[in-house]
Amino acid sequence: MNDPVNWSWGERSQDLGTWLARAVVGGLYVFMGLSKAFQPVEFLKLMRQYGLVETPWVLNLVAATLPWFEVFCGLLLLTGIAVRGAALMSVAMLAPFTVLVWQRALQLQAAGQLPFCAVRFDCGCGAGEVFICAKLAENGLLLMLSLWLVFAPRLRACLWPEPFRR
Amino acid sequence: MSGSAEPVVEPRSSVPAPQLQALLLEAAAIAAVGLTLGLIANGVSPRGLVLSRDYFPPTPVQGREARALPSGDRQTAPGAATAKDRVLVRLAELGLPAVDFAGARALFEDPRHAQELIVFVDARNDAAYTAGHIPGAYQFDRYYPERFFPTVLPVCDTAELVVVYCTGGDCEDSEFAARALLHAGVARERLRVFAAGMDEWRRHGMPVEVGPRGSGDFRPQPP
Repeated sequence: MNDPVNWSWGERSQDLGTWLARAVVGGLYVFMGLSKAFQPVEFLKLMRQYGLVETPWVLNLVAATLPWFEVFCGLLLLTGIAVRGAALMSVAMLAPFTVLVWQRALQLQAAGQLPFCAVRFDCGCGAGEVFICAKLAENGLLLMLSLWLVFAPRLRACLWPEPFRR
Repeated sequence: MSGSAEPVVEPRSSVPAPQLQALLLEAAAIAAVGLTLGLIANGVSPRGLVLSRDYFPPTPVQGREARALPSGDRQTAPGAATAKDRVLVRLAELGLPAVDFAGARALFEDPRHAQELIVFVDARNDAAYTAGHIPGAYQFDRYYPERFFPTVLPVCDTAELVVVYCTGGDCEDSEFAARALLHAGVARERLRVFAAGMDEWRRHGMPVEVGPRGSGDFRPQPP
């Protein structure tokens, strides 16, 4: 059953899909995280725009640690360590952030009297200014891939896929 | 049975309770380790943030806005002034005179500028500063005061006028930088803020100095 020679085409496709999902999500997290981690002040300013946190040390803590946390999660996914947990953290970061970006875009749309998809701003994602519809589509895709990794039937080509599994 | 040394995770159709527990434990461990690593990385990074520092101390105007408007509406509330107007109002409340482009140009061309009795201070980051600044301007990225104060403060102390600027538009860094200089002991009456900033400077085709201060690489900007 576990002999690679006997793997079905479906199993192979599934494994390839899972590996690609890890590569895409993990790679993006590393790239986006590093671009923010090397410019923490710019990320701090962007975080402040959302007006979510007023307490200075909390705002600083989020801006200082979140980029490195993203890099960490990305590396876990790429190397195949604690894959399901890292994917769950990815969902936990992406879901609320996507709602925040969407709300911010609605504010900018109202202020500028623009079509929704014409709203373009730096959301603090690490890729500079982006069009909101493209960003929402990207986040939707990343969310789906992350959810797939949480519930993937099996994980291969991983260093230590599920360290806490008994 | 298996002829491969590769670890294999058995297929599963759902997430039963023990697996769910393991998943949550895994996520919690990642959160703890990731947060710790983030704190360490921030601590050792030369660009790291000082967690205890208030990088955006509120002005009296901002305080009133915060009480009047729900969070998130401060940039876009109907009837609110433009970002530039708000900066000018805050500067007035702080007693920090603003200069427009004509004023900044007059100060730049004043002979006292060459004698460093009029000093321009650029409040932007390294990348923006080296990409082009007002010729002779000193950099003061106010997020890293300990790095820039040793150079900037002695110059500001001996200058008759200190003109602080940043990008312009809704950029607040010149305002915060001027407040930092004020708190560091630079007399209020010697401080000016060129709120329209580098955008306006370039728009009028004024020369910029590329690279570090004193590079000699002056480039006229196409108007």
